[in-house]
Amino acid sequence: MSGIVCAIRGGPKSQPTITQAITLAQETGLPLYFLYVVNLDFLSHTSHSRIHTISEEMHHMGEFILLAAQSAAAAQGISAQGVVRHGNVADEIISLCRDLDADYVVLGRPRGRGEESVFGQNLLKRFSQRIEQETQTQIVLAEEVST
Amino acid sequence: MSRRFRWIPILRSEIALRGLPNPRLWLGSGSRGRAKSYLLILIVCAFIGIGIAFGIGFAPTLSQASPHTQEPTSSSLITGRVYDQQGQPVEGALVTLRDAHQAKPIVQSTTQSDGRYTLSLPELSSSSAGSAGSEIGTSSLVRPLPSALEVHIERAHFEDGDIVLKTADVRDLLAGQSVVLPDVILLRHIGPAFWIATLVLLAVLIFIATGALHNTLAALVGMVVILSVSYLGLAFHKDLFIFDFYGALRYVDWNVVLLVMGMMIVIAVVERTGVFQWLAFMAYRVSGGRTWLLLPILMLVTGIASAFLDNVTTMLLMTPITVQIALALGIDPLALLVPEVMASNVVGVSTLVGTPTNILIGSYGDISFGAFLRNLTPGVALAFIGLTIYSEFAYRRELRAVSTASPLLLEKLAQQARITEPEHLKKAGVVGLGMLILFIFGERLHLPPSVTALLGATALLLWIRLDIEEMIEAVDWTTLVFFIALFVVIGAVQEVGLISMIAGLVRRLVGNHLLLAMLVITWLTAVLSTVIANIPLTAAMLPVIGYLATMVPGAGNNKVLFYCLSIGSGMGGNGSLIGASANMVTAGIAERAGYPITYAHFFRKGFPALLITVALAMLWLLLHFMLLGGPAAG
Repeated sequence: MSGIVCAIRGGPKSQPTITQAITLAQETGLPLYFLYVVNLDFLSHTSHSRIHTISEEMHHMGEFILLAAQSAAAAQGISAQGVVRHGNVADEIISLCRDLDADYVVLGRPRGRGEESVFGQNLLKRFSQRIEQETQTQIVLAEEVST
Repeated sequence: MSRRFRWIPILRSEIALRGLPNPRLWLGSGSRGRAKSYLLILIVCAFIGIGIAFGIGFAPTLSQASPHTQEPTSSSLITGRVYDQQGQPVEGALVTLRDAHQAKPIVQSTTQSDGRYTLSLPELSSSSAGSAGSEIGTSSLVRPLPSALEVHIERAHFEDGDIVLKTADVRDLLAGQSVVLPDVILLRHIGPAFWIATLVLLAVLIFIATGALHNTLAALVGMVVILSVSYLGLAFHKDLFIFDFYGALRYVDWNVVLLVMGMMIVIAVVERTGVFQWLAFMAYRVSGGRTWLLLPILMLVTGIASAFLDNVTTMLLMTPITVQIALALGIDPLALLVPEVMASNVVGVSTLVGTPTNILIGSYGDISFGAFLRNLTPGVALAFIGLTIYSEFAYRRELRAVSTASPLLLEKLAQQARITEPEHLKKAGVVGLGMLILFIFGERLHLPPSVTALLGATALLLWIRLDIEEMIEAVDWTTLVFFIALFVVIGAVQEVGLISMIAGLVRRLVGNHLLLAMLVITWLTAVLSTVIANIPLTAAMLPVIGYLATMVPGAGNNKVLFYCLSIGSGMGGNGSLIGASANMVTAGIAERAGYPITYAHFFRKGFPALLITVALAMLWLLLHFMLLGGPAAG
């Protein structure tokens, strides 16, 4: 099994990443998988006991965000699949790459301060190296739109 | 032993009464050689004490259990009252009748919650020579009365007070008549305990505000520091004592803790039914996709839900579905989310159970569910209307920028917005209605709201037969521990006099002007709520409000100042992203959908909302309480 993994979280900043992934799928003919990771670390300070319930709602929201990305791919003639996982974002991307034996991972490259991105510039570099070492998957960085 | 610390024997006998190890071991002469043993025994005592305290649930007060308290069995009684500088009754002060020359105690008592004390004299002889050499307070002994008597009053964190009895008073006592002494005002003693308790409170507030420690951990650390200083510090310096374990428990409001716990169980049942998602989708259906109409409907749904459930849970459930609706319609989710969370903060103020701060205020001020509805709901409705108009204006560009709704996304939305457990929802609805009736009419039966909440929670568990382990796990124990620890920390600053000092300053600021007091409390709390977590802020403000309510003319029975606090602390949460927990969880979810709510964005939109909503709610309070007369009782 092989393919392209595109990790997204929705919003305007994810659009260049989605576009890049669709273009890559068109060029390579590889199957495209959009990934959304439910991460609820932000609740640890306020509502830890609500994690079970909110986890389900976030799963639905993730499916919804992926559906929007899948629609965009379908409009370009690409049939993409959506995958929702729960946990640490970096770990789940690597896990899916391993499961699919993915050829490419498309990630957003933060611009500007990068405070609102999942990965800052330095963290992204380290993470890219980690993916390549652990999964031998090629990293493709898509330029995010500036804020 | 210095004069100021003669109350320590009371503490010793208090502990001894509860079956703890010999108090001499840990409150003894302070020998350095035994310091290690003291430390070990203290730790053991602390654990045993915690076990006992939680076992008994409600610790009796110091004065109730004091072995020195005398029932008035003799015909000769000395009574009087003790107040602090702010005119508040001083509870738990040790009152001693003694020989004015030799300072030998004759009989002792402690002041009650209203500051009143009663000294019941032993059977007296009319001999004027000598003094009593027998056991203190043994009323069966016939013994001579000294020629000069004085009443000596002492309590931790106060300077001692003395009243010398007049010759006529002594004569009356010998004649078997009772004597009423003039009121005594004790002056506050500002010592190391004062500064330690104050610094601990400040540290807890800073840790919470900066997020350096989890809220619960910050409060827990504060509580432990205060108790440790009280117990361990006492072995080294008497001025380090703040209060003992049972003194600390007196400040824990169990009505609040149990009410929050009961409501958490009820919420855990309701939140699994999918009703929130269904309501949000129905809002979309009713609006027909017109965003100017969708916004107020979503705000109303969120607001009403927040009035009966806690704001955080409401927003946790409303935010994901709102994001989906916005994405399906092609608009910026923030245009719906920020007004929703602001509506949650505003409308939650209308009921006793709508916000944790209202639960605190209701319990402290003895304000019923019905009283909140009668006195606050019209003001909240006014504020909500103002907020809705403002939100339409503030997000007019985003709401106009609607693109063609995606049929695929709308179909997915309809699939997900279904009531998943209709039977549970029906049962929860029946129980919820019963709870509402009990909340409203229970005040006639003096039914505490916590009992109603526990009744509802237990009824749901029995009727629906949910997994009890799962339901108990749904209770947010960290929040409950936060409340308990916070009560102790706030209690410490009350005990050492900081709250009285602040109350005195506010009193000097507002004088006898009720209007000024209302304005100061409302706006000060609202502005402070934007930077300080509103739960500790409200908990600290309550004793101040309680004091002002007794001192400012017209603020007593109607409890108007408590409603001002409720508006300030609740609606003040809209002033900044960190102003309310609901804001933070909404921002957290929005960020994970790729639409971060920045501090700057929230402040830009939220602070004007704070000004508008607080002003409108304040206008209602002024009309209701000052121009229309308001209710006579809360």
